[in-house]
Amino acid sequence: IFFVHRASPSARGLCIPTRAVCDAETIFALSSGHGRCGVAVVRVSGPASSMVLRNMAGLTQALPPPRTALLRRITDPKSKELLDRGLVLWFKGPHSFTGEDSAEFHIHGGPAVITAVLQALGSLEGVRPAEAGEFTRRAFHAGKLGLTEVEGLGDLIHAETEAQRRQALRQMDGELGRLYQDWSYRLKRCLAHVEAFIDFSEDELIEDGVLNQVDSSVRQLETEIERHLKDERRGERLRTGVQVVIAGATNAGKSSLLNTHRVPPSRGTTRRPLVEREGVRRARQRVEQADLTLVVVDSTQLPPDPQLVAAFLQQHLSTVLPSPEAGMTAASDKVLLVLNKSDLVPEEQRERTEGELRERPGLPPACFLSCSTSTGLEDFLTVLQSRVKTLCGDPLSGAPSLTQARHRAHLQQSVQALNQYHQYRDQDLALAAEGVRLALTHLGRITGRVGAEEILDIIFRDFCIGK
Amino acid sequence: MLAQKLHLLRHNVLSFVSSRTGSDFTRRQYDVIVVGGGHAGTEAAAAAARLGAETLLITQKIMTIGALSCNPSLGGVGKGQLVREVDALDGLCGRAGDAAGVHFSILNRSKGPAVWGPRAQLDRERYRQFIQSELLSTPRLTVLEGSVDELLVSQPNPEEPGHHRVTGIRLVDGSHPILSSSVVLTTGTFLSGSLFMGQTTSPGGRMGDAQSCAGLSYTLKETLGLRVGRLRTGTPPRIVKESVDLSLAQLQAPDKQPTPFSFLNTHTRCKPEEQLPCYLTHTTPGVERVVRESVHLNCHIQQDAKGPRYCPSIESRVLRFPGRRHQVWLEPEGLTSDLLYPQGLSMTMPPELQLRLLREIPALHRAEIRTPGYGVQYDFVCPTQLTPSLQVKSTQGLFLAGQINGTTGYEEAAAQGLWAGVNAGRTALSLPPMALSRTQSYIGVLIDDLVGRGVTEPYRMFTSRAEFRTYLRPDNADLRLTPRGFEEVGCVTLRRYKKAVSVRDGLQEALMALQSVALSSTRWREKLGNISLSENKSTTLNGLDLLQYKDVSFEMLASAFPECLSQYFEYSQRLKIEAVYRPHCEKQSREMERIRSEESLSLPSDMDYLSLPVSLSQEVREILDRVRPNTLGAATRLPGMTPAGIIHLLNYVLRTGFMHML
Repeated sequence: IFFVHRASPSARGLCIPTRAVCDAETIFALSSGHGRCGVAVVRVSGPASSMVLRNMAGLTQALPPPRTALLRRITDPKSKELLDRGLVLWFKGPHSFTGEDSAEFHIHGGPAVITAVLQALGSLEGVRPAEAGEFTRRAFHAGKLGLTEVEGLGDLIHAETEAQRRQALRQMDGELGRLYQDWSYRLKRCLAHVEAFIDFSEDELIEDGVLNQVDSSVRQLETEIERHLKDERRGERLRTGVQVVIAGATNAGKSSLLNTHRVPPSRGTTRRPLVEREGVRRARQRVEQADLTLVVVDSTQLPPDPQLVAAFLQQHLSTVLPSPEAGMTAASDKVLLVLNKSDLVPEEQRERTEGELRERPGLPPACFLSCSTSTGLEDFLTVLQSRVKTLCGDPLSGAPSLTQARHRAHLQQSVQALNQYHQYRDQDLALAAEGVRLALTHLGRITGRVGAEEILDIIFRDFCIGK
Repeated sequence: MLAQKLHLLRHNVLSFVSSRTGSDFTRRQYDVIVVGGGHAGTEAAAAAARLGAETLLITQKIMTIGALSCNPSLGGVGKGQLVREVDALDGLCGRAGDAAGVHFSILNRSKGPAVWGPRAQLDRERYRQFIQSELLSTPRLTVLEGSVDELLVSQPNPEEPGHHRVTGIRLVDGSHPILSSSVVLTTGTFLSGSLFMGQTTSPGGRMGDAQSCAGLSYTLKETLGLRVGRLRTGTPPRIVKESVDLSLAQLQAPDKQPTPFSFLNTHTRCKPEEQLPCYLTHTTPGVERVVRESVHLNCHIQQDAKGPRYCPSIESRVLRFPGRRHQVWLEPEGLTSDLLYPQGLSMTMPPELQLRLLREIPALHRAEIRTPGYGVQYDFVCPTQLTPSLQVKSTQGLFLAGQINGTTGYEEAAAQGLWAGVNAGRTALSLPPMALSRTQSYIGVLIDDLVGRGVTEPYRMFTSRAEFRTYLRPDNADLRLTPRGFEEVGCVTLRRYKKAVSVRDGLQEALMALQSVALSSTRWREKLGNISLSENKSTTLNGLDLLQYKDVSFEMLASAFPECLSQYFEYSQRLKIEAVYRPHCEKQSREMERIRSEESLSLPSDMDYLSLPVSLSQEVREILDRVRPNTLGAATRLPGMTPAGIIHLLNYVLRTGFMHML
């Protein structure tokens, strides 16, 4: 009983293209369960599915016959790097689950492989990670689902979104979450300020400078997100291992630390000791390239007055680490301080020093330990493990790779949308604002939806609107 | 006989109901009764009558039909879009604006045609006259002066949802009821309204008018059990023009060439050179001082009823944003009026302090007040209790529109009035109700926001509320709405329909003609001179591609290809706009499609969410139970709703056969 739908061709407004003109986006998702499993199924649906198969399964000429499994090498479409060897299937629409052209990749279930395949999919033009329930939604709209199917899928999706939600919550607590939230907040303000300028500047005192501020905020955000996209190597780390460098003065205990053999040979972690007496320049270069640096200090060399220790360590780090311009500072999460030979320091002094260092922003976490007596080693390993986990994502909990690929795609689309802002800034502010809105929508898929009311709240908080 | 009991003011009514015969005065049965003669009521009555329903408009004072109670202006950013859409559906306010405007301007001219805001200062007298004579000449419409005391309700039709069915109304001093199939309430601020000025409070919805509708409030709250909330608004003092030193204010000229609101008009009644200017001035620290000194004498500002954040009184402005200059617009009230309207100076302090405050502004240092400003507090019915057709969910045949739904503004009221009138008429004529999609119109956005989310402060339209702003433009409202308004809704007259169809066909042809001229970018540069095209030399571009470029106008293309393009000169502006926005709208069309298909899945209004035998979390159940979304689309927009919850709902709706999908 609704007025709106299915316009007759004659009633169609000039702007509404027919379906043929507007291709639906192509989506993908890990369809098998999360966690470790023997075989993982990645499903692709949408008009670009055949392109995806061609690009990733090396099927340059003909597609395989529909609904027939084919063993193929699965490669990265850009780098042509081999990702896995697995089964691919091709479903020609409408004979597929969603009614659209679809493809399936049956690959090995390891997190590194899944990550790699999902990231490769996300890098293809016009292909994006599916939203929760999107396959079902498409199937439903194509008239593919019966009642029982919808019911069963509801529970499945519930399970899936619950897992995603828990995962998102976990991530949102972390540093990455704070980063995304911060971007989202700043983007919201940008949008609110553009919208204020559009909706109110004719009647209200909204300074012309507002848009210039937005210009520079948008540029700043673009730079940060792009840098983040470049920096973020977690997926790669999972595949290639984490580079850990142990640095420190002669006799601080670097080799002892390495030789304790208690540093866990955890999956994919390669150990690369920093050879002593390497030139300072080369040493720094190594540190710069490392994913994690353990700076080993001889505790007996610390100033006996605990209050002076922080400054001492600060100074020490600046000699060991590359200059801050290289993007590495003492506060970076890529550094751990190891205060070795703790057994040679009086216990009271150690405790007071520990207390002093606990409250220090700007200094990486410091662990007292003794390589000779193994005191403090357990605590150090816990800290180290959590660092490595942060660097790689935790392969055992949920599906970090899935979330990662999703994030990556949304962030990339955000940056693209922000380009539209600059492109139209002087020509058509409505279209420029659309760019910011779109960027926020993509970021919102990571951090949560942003509604019109929220934007209005910012407008009314930041401006005196009083017509 | 009844006529006497109903207190007909004969001299007025005779002129009003001249389209009817005398015996019709005694008519006691109508298809539709509209209560209230403001922007919502007049549009509702006219729309119902256009649909073919015998319609009665009841108002407390016939003379105030079409009165502009507050600001003498129409349109603006977001609001102008609403006016264009109401006009596209053959409503009154666009044409009334063209007849009454004395100062036309397109706001946001430099910001892109999607957000242009057509606006006009109005001559109050001309506006009222236009609306009254329109109603007079509308067939099947009768106007009656009176106060409604009671809504008559009876048992519901068991085949439809709802606990009651409206059967008509009873007037304050009429013992005989007047019966109808539907009733539209557009009572504005008169529902338990009270007026505030300084420390005095009096019952009423507008200064100088009769009291509030106490009986109606009772019926709505007690009999029908509707939840109501309380909002406030206000109006500034009116200033004697002669007492203002306009040389101390900044003159704001209108557009040289007025742009009409209505798609039917090529020009406005007011000639370009007859237009009146506005004036801009600012508040001073003295204004803030007077406000601070008078807070204790100001009941209204101390009350906590919710006022709009975007149209606050000068008191709340300076209290919220102290130490700033605030803009004050001095607007003409009409060609012959000796008053000025100080936009931005709505206030509720005692009159002597209002005068002191005004005189703190240099241009107003000798200002005289004709009527002081005052505040109003009034009840509104929480609009989540309505369906997208603006019908009360629990009461068959009862429709609400305008401030009673928690909105503010003439344009918002007119838009709802029109849509409520359409559906009241359809219900009376036994046609199914209709909804407007938020993907197709600002009216759809407005109604969807109201019934889907409710209001916490007076709701005003902004362009930022519309997701598909680049498609919902003022220039294409006729294409979006007029053909359907005729073919499917029935509220558009044949004349307007024909015009819209010819425009649509003309544009279509012109677009095809543009696409038919294709050249390489090198050749285009040769033909059009020095334009910057980003494409490389060999790319072939057609005329429509080219028109997207900032420096390219339709006129340039037409002079390059006069034989196939020059006949479309009349559409040059619309073609340019279409060319720029088309690619973006195409990108959005998938999202539009999705929203529309979800909007088309309606959820039964009497669903028992708390005990629904499907797997939903308690949290989601409570949200659904509180808001009771009308469609699956509205449910997806609820905060806290999960994708899994949506699928479960979908499943339930499918299974129980409640789905209505076109």
